[in-house]
Amino acid sequence: MYVHIENLSFSYPKTPVLHQLTFTMQKGEILAIIGSSGSGKSTLLRTLSGLEMPACGRIHIAGETVCDTSRCTPADKREVGFVFQDYALFPHRTVAQNIAFGLHKTPRKARQARVDALLEMIAMTGFARRYPHQLSGGQQQRVALARALAPMPKMLLLDEPFSNIDTDLKHTIRLELASLLKKANMTSILVTHDEEDARMLADRVIVLEGGRIVHEERVVRTPRH
Amino acid sequence: MKRRINHDGPLFSLFALIAGLAIIVPLLFILRHLFEPSTDAWRHIRQIWLLAYIRNTSVMIFWTAFGTALIGTYAAVLTTRYTFFGVRVLSWMLVLPLAVPAYIAGYVYADMLSYTGTVTRFLRLVSLPQLLQPMTMAGAVFIFVFTLYPYVYLFVRAALKRQSAAYAESALTLGVGPFRAFFLVVLPLLRPALIGGVFLVVLETLNDYGLVAYFNIRVFSFAIFNAWFSFGEVVTAIRLSAVLLIMVFVILVLERVLRGHRRYTVHVKGRVIAARPLRGLARVVHPFCLWLILGFGFLFPTMQLMHYAVLTWRNTLNMTLFYNFMNTLTIALGSTALIVVIALMLANFGRFRPKGWKRAWLKATTLGYAIPGAVIAIAVNLFFITVDRQLYPLYRWLNPASPVLVLSMSLGMLVFAYILRFMAIGYNSIEAGYDKLGETFTEAAYTLNHRKLSTLLKIDVPLLKSSLFAAAVIVFIDVVKELPLTLILRPANYDTLASRIYEYASDEMIQDTGVASLILIMMSALLIYALSGPKKRGRSAHVRPY
Repeated sequence: MYVHIENLSFSYPKTPVLHQLTFTMQKGEILAIIGSSGSGKSTLLRTLSGLEMPACGRIHIAGETVCDTSRCTPADKREVGFVFQDYALFPHRTVAQNIAFGLHKTPRKARQARVDALLEMIAMTGFARRYPHQLSGGQQQRVALARALAPMPKMLLLDEPFSNIDTDLKHTIRLELASLLKKANMTSILVTHDEEDARMLADRVIVLEGGRIVHEERVVRTPRH
Repeated sequence: MKRRINHDGPLFSLFALIAGLAIIVPLLFILRHLFEPSTDAWRHIRQIWLLAYIRNTSVMIFWTAFGTALIGTYAAVLTTRYTFFGVRVLSWMLVLPLAVPAYIAGYVYADMLSYTGTVTRFLRLVSLPQLLQPMTMAGAVFIFVFTLYPYVYLFVRAALKRQSAAYAESALTLGVGPFRAFFLVVLPLLRPALIGGVFLVVLETLNDYGLVAYFNIRVFSFAIFNAWFSFGEVVTAIRLSAVLLIMVFVILVLERVLRGHRRYTVHVKGRVIAARPLRGLARVVHPFCLWLILGFGFLFPTMQLMHYAVLTWRNTLNMTLFYNFMNTLTIALGSTALIVVIALMLANFGRFRPKGWKRAWLKATTLGYAIPGAVIAIAVNLFFITVDRQLYPLYRWLNPASPVLVLSMSLGMLVFAYILRFMAIGYNSIEAGYDKLGETFTEAAYTLNHRKLSTLLKIDVPLLKSSLFAAAVIVFIDVVKELPLTLILRPANYDTLASRIYEYASDEMIQDTGVASLILIMMSALLIYALSGPKKRGRSAHVRPY
């Protein structure tokens, strides 16, 4: 298995959030986690990315144990991409500088090439010098995605990626995101409270309630013509 | 074309117009006198001293800005991002140096480090030499840095508290370590706050007269006073003021340019970064440094003043001091009340996102804060003398024995100058309150058939209570501490605590400043406590919300 989560628990002082979660993922799989607010979806992502430390449990990603009872790899060394709910694009950096941010160890030429390739992938070649506030919600989302994908993470986590997008645009952007993730063959976990988002994007859906998995199903899509 | 409903009643428009005129016209007096024929004194100053004034002033503001930026940011980061023993107390106490006017700190440090001073005597006792020379440019910068850093501290602290954790966290998930993330993401996002704080520090430094005069540092405010008082050279004083105003203008432009076109306030929801405990040696070193900063800015000068007070209270705690205290209290309360009321009316006039001339007019009414006290004093003085001359026939009609100068010999001139100088503080604080409040409550009142004034009194004022309180406190503290305006514009035989302290210091009676200085500092310190002390955290964000 590419990703293996085993008995993962997390609690804030006096408030347990995740209870003994166990699930696996295959390479390139897109998993959607749905649940009401407070169900622990976002905390799960933060724990997987290394932004929070689990109380117990084990996390394996791409054949490596990144967290268990004895040690936890910090977020900056874990190689797990994260697309934040509000994208958290750095407002003082241009689109290109945002995308290049995680490529600080890459040589200059290769970095530029990677940024160009990603800009092309998200169809925003002409936007390299723009600042985040000069972009629409959908464009910001694509840049956030490109930024997270730039350092070629082992997996990608997306926290409510459609919460800032107008309903009329949502459908197109969902399809776009699904195609980008598939194109990059990126193992991804997407957190949402919208079942339609989950079914449209993911290969599998997990329903979280009170920090426990209460339902799991594979999404069957009818082929489009 | 989109049209906005005009919410401004005629009363408020007229009021804004008059307030604006009252503030702008005196400043124009400087321009009028600028083109009078130059004098020998001016030619002498231009050839020999002008470059030195520019150089000294620039050196002084550069190092003060640098020092306050460093210390203010350091203190703000430590008290918001880390937990350690005493952090809660320190986080508000670090604002206290604002209660210590630079000139008082200057007198105290100069005395402490003099041959008979506390520090030198102690060093002699342990057979160590005293190598520090306080009455130098470096000494003045040191005092400015440790008494003015709270401006930067407050701005950066408020910005850090607002900054979403998502920025630093996304840097981490992109493989950038916490240290680099701080310098690449957290710090650049603080730039507007940092510049805002440093800008105020620079304006305060330019405004100072008491410290530079005592240390004999030839900067602009010192030169303007000298030209005006020692040589009676109005034209020279005005020309020096004009050069100083050009410097202020350059700084204003620099501030705009430094802020740049980039937007730093993209709204990102989510938590702010939780404070982490300091570990290892840092647990001792950083709190020690913070206490030392507080020591230099507040504790050491205050302790020394207490010692002076113990030595001299029998001579200085008398009825004269009581009158000085009452003068300070009444003029500060009166000016504060006037400023808050005018600022409220102006902010109310400008609250529905003003554009064009209206915006420019409102900006102009808050110009005073950028203009050093010495310049305002000259402008107001010239303005009042002209008004007196115009009104002389009226005075004579009322009282045939009336002198020519009536208004310019009254307390009204000083109060007017305070209003001109500190309007920006009141206005900005209340405007920030209005921004937070939004427009809905007021619009709801309008739809319920309330007029503008009734809405202001019944809805806005109660909801703006904390902003009004913050505005009043900050203005009050500034008026109490103000020296250059008070020195030039007070009527004969009228002394406030600040002017009394200045006179003691001018007569080299530093120890006699003890009781008066302590009263002045404690008044301000108590108000700072009321504003940003531990139980009123919600209000602390209002402190100078520019």
